Amino acid sequence: MNDIAIKLENITVRFRIPHEKIPTFQEYAIRWLKRHSVNYSDFNALNNISFSIKKGQTFGIIGSNGAGKSTLLKVISRVIRPTQGRVFLRGRIAPLLELGAGFDYEMTGRENIFLNGAVLGFSRKHIASRIEKIVEFSGIEEFIDAPVRTYSSGMVARLGFAVATDVQPEVLVIDEILSVGDIDFQKKSAERILEYYNNGSTILVVSHNPASIRQLCTHVIWLEHGCIKTMGPVDDIINDYSSPLS
Amino acid sequence: MRRRCTDAFKRRLFKNNVIVNANSAFIVTVRRQVSTLIMLEYDSSNRPPPVIDELIQLVHYRDLIFLMVENIIKNRYKRSVLGIFWMLLNPLLQTIVLTIAFGAMFKSSLPNYAIYLLCGLLAWNFITQTTQYAMSTMAYGGGLLKRVYIPRATYIVAAVGNGLINFLVSIASLIIIAIFLAHPITLTWLFLPVSILILAIFALGFALLLSTSSVFFTDTVDIYQVLIQAFFFLTPIMYPSSILPIELSRLLAFNPFLILIDIFRIPIYVNQLPSVDLIISSILLALMTLAAGWIMFTKKADQIAYRL
Repeated sequence: MNDIAIKLENITVRFRIPHEKIPTFQEYAIRWLKRHSVNYSDFNALNNISFSIKKGQTFGIIGSNGAGKSTLLKVISRVIRPTQGRVFLRGRIAPLLELGAGFDYEMTGRENIFLNGAVLGFSRKHIASRIEKIVEFSGIEEFIDAPVRTYSSGMVARLGFAVATDVQPEVLVIDEILSVGDIDFQKKSAERILEYYNNGSTILVVSHNPASIRQLCTHVIWLEHGCIKTMGPVDDIINDYSSPLS
Repeated sequence: MRRRCTDAFKRRLFKNNVIVNANSAFIVTVRRQVSTLIMLEYDSSNRPPPVIDELIQLVHYRDLIFLMVENIIKNRYKRSVLGIFWMLLNPLLQTIVLTIAFGAMFKSSLPNYAIYLLCGLLAWNFITQTTQYAMSTMAYGGGLLKRVYIPRATYIVAAVGNGLINFLVSIASLIIIAIFLAHPITLTWLFLPVSILILAIFALGFALLLSTSSVFFTDTVDIYQVLIQAFFFLTPIMYPSSILPIELSRLLAFNPFLILIDIFRIPIYVNQLPSVDLIISSILLALMTLAAGWIMFTKKADQIAYRL
């Protein structure tokens, strides 16, 4: 149990899709007057998912659009709480899916480092002690006191990456292969991810590209319609996934 | 297996043959020890009841709340030259206009009408603007709640913090008018921190109730706007309660807004401490609203990310 980083037991996430309009008091009142019950149907975005990932493993999550990959990541990063089942996660998770979540484009880069850091759960004191390093890594020292609305999208992503990965997380979630900023920054960010990997971080990669999954991951989870289709070592699965006849 | 994978990692990530400095074993050990010390665990089936859990999380994320309030205020006044004066100007102008319109009408029953009016307006504006702001930030700014984990109540607490600062600043306009009209500023003003705290507790509870409702029923905002307009005229803010017929004023004793406005207005306008009855009933009202709002919000909080 001690070497488990992530464990999911019978996870089900059920969304409720109302068949008609957006829910309002007005709708309810009209329905109530007409003696109609409100029409709902349930949709299981994830269906009875169980697996566990050991510390330091690299897992790829594959599957077509709408297969439940994002929902799975949201459950793991506790953005949504599962309808049923249990999620267990040891350590801090750094989702690199939402770089710069909570950025306020009117504020300066420096102010946004604090804000984004706070969104990720760091104290102001902690960020203050790390700010030089973060700014240095992002490589935008020149513009750090300019409002973020004046930044290019690459600069915003660089700043977000620098904040999110400043402290080594126990679990790192990567969407596709990181393509943050220019070539130099991509190299720098890859270096950092590799360093964390070597230091024992567990890594989850979401991708549609079989080639990058094959190269990055030891194991693969293949999701289809909210269920695990197959799961196992990368070599056993990825050929089926990439072959169009499967 | 691991080795092969690391090589693949390198090949994939370092097309230009960048050499990676492997960390020395020492640093790795130290880092591992540090990370064990601050090891966090998340277990979705083993957590405190939501009512407590949300509070623990809010305390953990307190810096986020402070930063949010700071940023709202910085943003609002950064680009305007008059800056903080706008905060004072708005209630001052409102008071002047309404005093010109109604001041003469209540000359005998309400001397220094401007003071009476402004006290009511400030308390009223604090409650209504805070709740409306909380609802709209949940509805429009709540996208963040769908993308990363932050405590669900963050936005609402920040909205109340922001409203509280506006309220405190606008009290300066009250002092300006009091000095201008030679209205006595007495020791009873020292009761005001208690009044403001009661108002803030009520506003937080009310905002939690309304925000929860607005996530599930999107027309809550519209319904609230109409009701609040009606209550503005049903509550003695612009007029003395003595002008109401007896039956109506008996009903008004149950108007929660009147209790809240009185607890703030009496120490300033009448220069007396509020009666013990009023103090107790307003504290009870505030605490019960907060308890109801907190319980309802935390109970529904898990569904918010689904619904927003």
